[in-house]
Amino acid sequence: MSDTKRVVVIGGGPGGYAAAFMAADLGMDVTLVDPAVNPGGVCLYRGCIPSKALLHTAKLINESKESSAWGIEFQPPKIDIDKLRTWKQSVVDKLTGGLGQLVKQRKINHVQGRAVFVNNTTLEITDNDGKKSKMDFEYAILATGSRPVSIPSLSLDTPRVMDSTGALELEDVPEKLLVIGGGYIGLEMGTVYAALGSKVTVVEMTSGLLPGADRDMVRILQKGLDEKFESILLNTKVVEMKEVKNQISVKFEGEKLENPEQKFDRVLMTIGRRPNNENLGLENTKIQLDERGFVKVDLQRRTDEPNIFAIGDIAGEPMLAHKASHEGHVAVEAIAGHKATFEPRAIPAVVFTDPELAWAGLTETQAKEQKRDVQVFRFPWAASGRALTMDRLDGMTKLIVDPESERVLGMGVVGAGAGELIAEGVLAIEMAANATDLKLSIHPHPTLSETVMETAEMLFGTSTHVYRPKRK
Amino acid sequence: MSLEIKIPDLGDGIASGTVANFLVSVGDAVEVEQPVLELETDKAVVEVPSEIAGTVESILAKAGDEVKVGQVIIKLSGDAAPVEKEEKPDPPKKEKAPEPEKPAEKKIEAKPAGGPASDVEIKVPDLGEGITSGTIANVLVAVGDEIENEQPIVELETDKAVVEVPADASGKVTSVNVKAGDEVKIGQALLVVSSTGAPAPAAAPAKAKAAPASESKAETKAAPAPAPAPVEAKSAESLTPEFSPSASGVPAPAAPSVRRFAREIGVNINEVKGSGQGGRISVEDVKAHSKALHQKYREGGVAAPSGTIAAPPLPDFSKWGEVDRQAMSKVRQKTAEHLSSAWATIPHVTQFDKADITELEALRKQFGKKAEAAGGKLTMTAILLKICASALKVFPQFNASVDMANKQVVYKKYINLGVAVDTDRGLLVPVIRDVDKKNIVDLSVELTEIAVKARDGKLSLDEMQGGNFTISNLGGIGGTAFTPIVNAPEVAILGVSRGSYEPVYKDGEFVPRLMLPLSLSYDHRLIDGADGARFIRWLAEAIEQPFKIVLEG
Repeated sequence: MSDTKRVVVIGGGPGGYAAAFMAADLGMDVTLVDPAVNPGGVCLYRGCIPSKALLHTAKLINESKESSAWGIEFQPPKIDIDKLRTWKQSVVDKLTGGLGQLVKQRKINHVQGRAVFVNNTTLEITDNDGKKSKMDFEYAILATGSRPVSIPSLSLDTPRVMDSTGALELEDVPEKLLVIGGGYIGLEMGTVYAALGSKVTVVEMTSGLLPGADRDMVRILQKGLDEKFESILLNTKVVEMKEVKNQISVKFEGEKLENPEQKFDRVLMTIGRRPNNENLGLENTKIQLDERGFVKVDLQRRTDEPNIFAIGDIAGEPMLAHKASHEGHVAVEAIAGHKATFEPRAIPAVVFTDPELAWAGLTETQAKEQKRDVQVFRFPWAASGRALTMDRLDGMTKLIVDPESERVLGMGVVGAGAGELIAEGVLAIEMAANATDLKLSIHPHPTLSETVMETAEMLFGTSTHVYRPKRK
Repeated sequence: MSLEIKIPDLGDGIASGTVANFLVSVGDAVEVEQPVLELETDKAVVEVPSEIAGTVESILAKAGDEVKVGQVIIKLSGDAAPVEKEEKPDPPKKEKAPEPEKPAEKKIEAKPAGGPASDVEIKVPDLGEGITSGTIANVLVAVGDEIENEQPIVELETDKAVVEVPADASGKVTSVNVKAGDEVKIGQALLVVSSTGAPAPAAAPAKAKAAPASESKAETKAAPAPAPAPVEAKSAESLTPEFSPSASGVPAPAAPSVRRFAREIGVNINEVKGSGQGGRISVEDVKAHSKALHQKYREGGVAAPSGTIAAPPLPDFSKWGEVDRQAMSKVRQKTAEHLSSAWATIPHVTQFDKADITELEALRKQFGKKAEAAGGKLTMTAILLKICASALKVFPQFNASVDMANKQVVYKKYINLGVAVDTDRGLLVPVIRDVDKKNIVDLSVELTEIAVKARDGKLSLDEMQGGNFTISNLGGIGGTAFTPIVNAPEVAILGVSRGSYEPVYKDGEFVPRLMLPLSLSYDHRLIDGADGARFIRWLAEAIEQPFKIVLEG
């Protein structure tokens, strides 16, 4: 046996391919098992990437309308849905094709197929033609991801009821679209379809959109969504759906419903995702699942089988691509014998709606739940020159700060480009930066990033563009 | 069933030895406790007994090979089961991962993965700053030690600094794979501990184990050889501890790179006190914390010599004639190291004197038969043992050690004396215990026995440790005086040369007296010149008038 470690990565999403690439870079002998021609997983094929391509067009459409207020008038857009779909697909193809190139350059053995554990050192691989073979491994990284949850009682065997994958297929632009679930996937896809011309209704069981995010930020987002969507029904449940004459009739149950039964051309179900833990032969190993079906892992992402790791959505919340990639790197470093562990201080979350909403680290909501003493500073974008030039005053930057050390514990941003701005917050939190550090770092003018600096200045009562004497 | 005989724990930080001789050969039947080989360690030749019975199937080393503790040395076949652990109180249980090179003959071991104790390798962590290797400056633990997580285990010297490497697991040290001076690389195993904290749940699904066996393909595939190896090895690495969170609940204010560094060297970042704004923790803070931890664990110990001077490179001797290079024996290496260190650390002073042994010599001859009857030999050394023991009682600072690290003097309430013995393999110093409590005949018997043992290479390490003062008698060979080197951490040594008749001016005339030259070297840090002179004078007077022993000693 040579010193080269033999690693098999099961699943080619952003967790799996990041792990496989790093393993190869560290000189390991790597096999990547994934049914697709090229790596990418849900994120590239059916998630982050195609949805962002569509959201980019949605933004363009929205801005072309907003510009009439500035004296620039466009004709209503003519939408060629087939061409749009082709373009979206070309984005996906280009990106996944690029990954395929990187697989070859790194001399990773890519097996197109699916893998099942026979025991803790052997996999049975079924390739896409149905041919079975056995493969021995020293180490395995399980990165099989997740898939949308459906509600059996509401399942209808019709393409009119879609999950996120179906919605991204962009069959048509329905006149009336119902989005079930007010989480980020529903709101993003709702934003796309609304821009393309659908009348979008969002129904959410709980009292607010985006559970987990701070309410003050969601409020600003919701104001924007109220204008774009037909209606947002909170504290409302869908109790029945049936197909009627090319439409879906939906019965709601909830408070203050004007119309408890409505018809929609399509329904998009985005009520959550569940880990892909089935048909992997986990029962032939000592790998354990938790009560929600996630694989139990330690800080190094090691399962109960010491040579098998699990990363990404299958290893637990939050189910985010960037968390999966980071975990993939940790697992590979652990295999390489380093004492790497997964202990981030902040995993940024971004909702690519219009406006965008992003947060990292401790939220104000969490601080309240934990009864932790924090100071919160909010900088309204109405005081930002840059926001004004964009006519995007619907924004806010906020910092959650430890009162004693002035350390930045959390950051939230709602507004145009929030997803890009949050990165600074992540760095500040990870580096244990304090408000003085942010205040004393010169930020470029005129940009939205200045709002981060000015929020930090608020702690000292010296924010240039907000007059708010120091509270004591 | 294939059984293995491994090099057992030899105690006292001994990690390896040289095979002197195999006492069995292939085909021999071996019984439990039967010695199977002789192993030469730093100071002793030890017989290694078998813990199991069986027939010798193969011998995996040859005489002269350097072998490590835990290394498989002989394979036995046979139905005999290993002896139960109760039989021997402390057979080192070596469930070390099998050597990946030769897993071929190894069957899949049936032992439950992650049982009550599992062996964990502690490796050289990433030291950051592009450092890839270092030299072991000091090994701070020994086989048999119980170590705790985060306890420093070695001092590692890199290009930049000496770093303490803390353990990242706790348990009993079962083997130490490195010694001071070894060059080690990042990731190299330093030692193995039998971990008591192995978390692997013994949920043991019998199914999983049965699977590969019943799998017909497994058999055709060159034995399931490599399969068990990684699993075993990896359970070791899985012990990255989940550090307890900080008391405040606020995550430790340290950058990711600093947190990673702390984890690599086994420091709980939540326990580190930051020196920066708002308690922010720097790499320096982590190092300081590690250093403090190290201090805490260090007990006693003499401050290391402040920089050893590297020997200049040797010339090419063959320019001037034929040379023959031979490896230094272990005893020679150890002697060289030990004496260099003693010479470099201790400010030596040697005081000379002579004792009139005319009367004593007469007594020695008179009572020689008595000792012989008891099985001993009444030598001058045996008598000097008793006299020195009394002297040490009178002068307790000679029965002491210097602890510079803690600025203390360690006074010993027992009197154990070392006796330098010249052997074929070099200088050995067996120790005779509680000399003050034994009579001279007893001492002569014990001295005879121990000298024979030393010459036969049968001394155990234990018999060479714990001395307070050493006697080196070269009188049998000759010479008038010499300057012995103090056997650190002792503080004095008595050198004895050959006695000879000298004219001594006594009562107005010269009379021939048998005079014994004495050379007392002592550690001037602890012992002043006047005390040195008093001590050797007391010795000389006691030799001349042994009544002094009873009177004062």
